Amino acid sequence: MQQGGGSETEVTWEDQQNINKFGRLNNRFHELEVEIKVAKESNENLEDASNELILTDEDVVRFQIGEVFAHVSKDEVEARIEQMKEVTTKNLEKLEEEKDSVVAQMAELKKILYGKFNDSINLEED
Amino acid sequence: MASPSATTIASPSSSGSGITERRGIPGAQFVEDVQTYLNQIGLDVTSALAVLQERLQQYKLVEMKLLAQQRDLQAKIPDIEKCLDVVATLQAKKGTGEALVADFEVAEGIYSRASIEDSDSVCLWLGANVMLEYSCEEATALLQKNLDNAKASLEVLVADLQFLRDQVTITQVTIARVFNWDVHQRRMRLSPAVKDS
Repeated sequence: MQQGGGSETEVTWEDQQNINKFGRLNNRFHELEVEIKVAKESNENLEDASNELILTDEDVVRFQIGEVFAHVSKDEVEARIEQMKEVTTKNLEKLEEEKDSVVAQMAELKKILYGKFNDSINLEED
Repeated sequence: MASPSATTIASPSSSGSGITERRGIPGAQFVEDVQTYLNQIGLDVTSALAVLQERLQQYKLVEMKLLAQQRDLQAKIPDIEKCLDVVATLQAKKGTGEALVADFEVAEGIYSRASIEDSDSVCLWLGANVMLEYSCEEATALLQKNLDNAKASLEVLVADLQFLRDQVTITQVTIARVFNWDVHQRRMRLSPAVKDS
C-alpha cells in the first residue's frame, strides 16, 4: 500500500476504512487458500481410503481412531468414511463459497479505491 | 506488551477512528491532515516517521505473539475432537457385549493389541501429571466443554488479530502519507527554481 510520486489526494477516514477492509479480505483470502488446500487433501485421502477398502479381502480392517488402530468391520469403516467424506465435502464447499465472496468484495473495493487514488495506490501483490 | 511511549499517543481528538484500544492493543490514530498532525505531536517529518516505524514494529511483535497463540489453539481443537471420537467409539461398543480390539503404540513403531471390554470409564490426562477417571458421559461433557472453550478463544483471538491488522494498515498508510507529504513539500519549495529547466 504505497502511494507514489507525492500526489496530494486527500485520504479520508472512509478511505482508510476501505483500505483496512481490503487488507482484512486479502488476509482471509490467503488463509482460505491454505484451508482449501488442506480440505482438498483430506478429501482425496478419504477417497483413496475408500478405494483401497473396495479392493481389500479382509473383513476386519484397522481403523485409526485417535491414536489407536481399532479393529472395525469393513462395512462399518465404509459407513464411517462415507460420513467423513460428506463432512469434508460440505466443508470444502463452504470454503469455496467464502473464497468467491471474498474475491468479489475485493474486486468491489479495488474499483472504489483505484477510482479515487488511480495509480497512487497499489492493491496488487508483488 | 510494552506500553507505548508518550509521544506516540497524540490527543485522540483529531479523528473518529472509533475504538482506541482492544485488549491491551492500542489503536492507531488516523491522520486527517498531515500538517495538522505534525503540529499536534510537535515533531518534524523524520522523527514522526521514526515514531511511526517504532509503533509498527511493536504491532508486528504483538502480531507474532497472537499468531503463535492462534497456531496453538488450531492444533488443540483437532486433538480434542479426536479424544471425543475415541470416547464416542467406546460408548458405542458398551452394552453390545463385543470387545473393542485395538492395536496401540507401546513405543515408537512398536504396537501391541488390546481388548477393551465393556468399559464404563476412561481416564483423561488433565495435565500437570494428573490423570483422572471419568465415566464416558462425564468425559464427553468435559471434552466438549474444552472444545467449546478452545473454539471461543480462537474466535476472540481472530478478532484481536483483525483489529491489530487494521492498526498496522492505518500506521502503514500514515507512514506513506507523511512521507509523500514531505516529498510534496520539498517539491513545492524547489519547483519555482526548476520550473524553467
